[in-house]
Amino acid sequence: MTETATPYIALSGIRKGYRIGGEPISIFSGLDLAIPHGDFVAVMGPSGSGKSTLLNMLAGIDRPDGGTLRIGTSRLDQMGEAARSAWRAHNMGIVFQFYNLLPMLTAAENVELPLLLKPLTRKERRIRVDRVLDLVGLAGREKQYPAMMSGGQQQRIGIARAIVSDPGLLLCDEPTGDLDRKSADEVLEMLRFLNRHLEKTIVMVTHDPQAALYARRTLHLDKGDFVEEKRAA
Amino acid sequence: MSTHSRQALVMIRTNLSSLPRRFAISASMILSVALVVCVLAGFLSMARGFETALTAAGSPSVAVILGGGTNQEMGSDVPAAVIRTLDAMTGDLGALRDAGGKLILSREIVVPVDVKQVADGTARTLGLHGMDAAGPSIREGISLSARRVFAPGAREIAVGDRLASEFGLRVGDMVRLGAVDWTVVGHFSARGSASESEIWADLDAVRAAFDRQGQIQSLKLRLVDPTTLERLQDKIATITGTPLVALSEADLYAAQSGRTASLIRLFGWPLALLMAVGATAGALNTMMSSVADRTVEIATVRALGFSRLSAFLGTWVEAMVLAGAGALLGLFASWLIFNGWQASTIGANNARMAFQLAVTPDVLLTSGLLGVAIGLLGGALPAIAATRLPLTAALRARG
Ligand SMILES: Nc1ncnc2c1ncn2[C@@H]1O[C@H](COP(=O)(O)OP(=O)(O)O)[C@@H](O)[C@H]1O
Ligand SMILES: [Mg+2]
Repeated sequence: MTETATPYIALSGIRKGYRIGGEPISIFSGLDLAIPHGDFVAVMGPSGSGKSTLLNMLAGIDRPDGGTLRIGTSRLDQMGEAARSAWRAHNMGIVFQFYNLLPMLTAAENVELPLLLKPLTRKERRIRVDRVLDLVGLAGREKQYPAMMSGGQQQRIGIARAIVSDPGLLLCDEPTGDLDRKSADEVLEMLRFLNRHLEKTIVMVTHDPQAALYARRTLHLDKGDFVEEKRAA
Repeated sequence: MSTHSRQALVMIRTNLSSLPRRFAISASMILSVALVVCVLAGFLSMARGFETALTAAGSPSVAVILGGGTNQEMGSDVPAAVIRTLDAMTGDLGALRDAGGKLILSREIVVPVDVKQVADGTARTLGLHGMDAAGPSIREGISLSARRVFAPGAREIAVGDRLASEFGLRVGDMVRLGAVDWTVVGHFSARGSASESEIWADLDAVRAAFDRQGQIQSLKLRLVDPTTLERLQDKIATITGTPLVALSEADLYAAQSGRTASLIRLFGWPLALLMAVGATAGALNTMMSSVADRTVEIATVRALGFSRLSAFLGTWVEAMVLAGAGALLGLFASWLIFNGWQASTIGANNARMAFQLAVTPDVLLTSGLLGVAIGLLGGALPAIAATRLPLTAALRARG
């Protein structure tokens, strides 16, 4: 996919740091990044290089200390917590390494969570939940609890939850980091399907070179900046 | 349903269903709230029971005349001249007269006496009521349950049923009151009211035994009906020389019980509130650990876009549910323990009076609300903490 004049995601001059025991440490000092609509980007890099920090900023969970961060028409860097919370509910889906399913809710109830933030009737929510469970190949498992499922199945529930409200952007932080090869490939296949056929823009953090092959391009993050870029064939 | 309430509801649901993970600390919060509720309910039901007992003992159709500027029996003194004046008054006094037109009236004194308990030999202070022969019949709701009352001038006593059973006083027994022995000649019941803790004897016999010759503390009269008290009050207002008040027995006892009941509450409330402060600190601790336990779950749904409000409500409602469970437990326990429990206290005239604790709806409501308040206060800060969870740190914690 070619980059258009106004990319879907645009970061420029992003600064971000943390304080660890009073000592300020800088993760990014002037990071630039543009991601067009419909892209599937893998972000790789050594542990501690800021991959999760970047993803959390894209998710509106964390906020840059400086610079501009625009996704679609939203300036996330200028939004307060309540506005970002509402933005998250409607604009992105997130997939976690450890699935982060709520253990006391069934598969269907976990998937339904983002829909509770939308003005939908119970029936409308049921239809959407059934549709995405079907999409991730878990139809018929609505009433199962996460603890009764394999890691691969749990992550597919996690993906179903991330896409159930049909966001344009899908963010995945090491989505296969806790899975065996076979389950990982199934999950990655699914992400590729979502990108190719449902036009989701995907940013996936991974340290697995195999996983990165599923993406359209791979960015390597080191010492707070992108050092090289590889494009998939 | 709005999306806000749906978010809050699912948060509340997941919180409550994760309670088993925090069983021990949640149970400790429930128990500490229950304890506070139980203590307050105990004191309040004691106060309420005392009021009920004394109020039931007083009749609105029995008038009591007190002298000497006091409106309680203790310290009251009615000069003998007042009785002569009353006797001489013709016309409607509002009080009953006998067939011969003579005012039915009982002169009364109350003397605190120590009576040895059969069980452990310790002494208890009881009220010995000296009265004229008309005394028992002027009183309302009295029935003689064994033999007779007492003969004029004789060292004979009638004892209330409750006393009789507590002290094992049978008819024919000799009891030492003051320096002399008295014979039990009868029992009386007073529909279970506080009067059943009294001892009655002839006025002159009591005066002689306790060196109170010529003394009259109060006069008892039977009103035609409760509304004629005003007429009596008007009439005695015309008697000069000594300040007199006439009030119904019901009002007299209510005033006396009011003071004691206030005293019980005055002890009970600070104690319960002090314990409530401790329980609130405990609730705070429980809820803080609940938030810590649910950190990943809260952060996850917040990352999905759930509002801060839903994180707040989920935690706050959990605190209230736990406190509510504690309150219910405490109320149930206090009802089991206290309702109908026998207690005794210093009642009117320094005499010990037995009564039953009454766990009434208002007692339940007040103590229950205190319990829920513990949850409201103790849960508020942790609920705020739940809204301020640093999401990134919480999501990392899982890794
Ligand atoms: N909430 C935080 N508080 C303090 N330091 C943090 C926080 N999040 C990340 N860091 C630090 O920032 C650096 C980058 O972290 P992260 O983005 O998680 O890296 P990666 O995901 O690439 O392993 C690390 O050194 C980490 O210790
Ligand atoms: Mg990471």
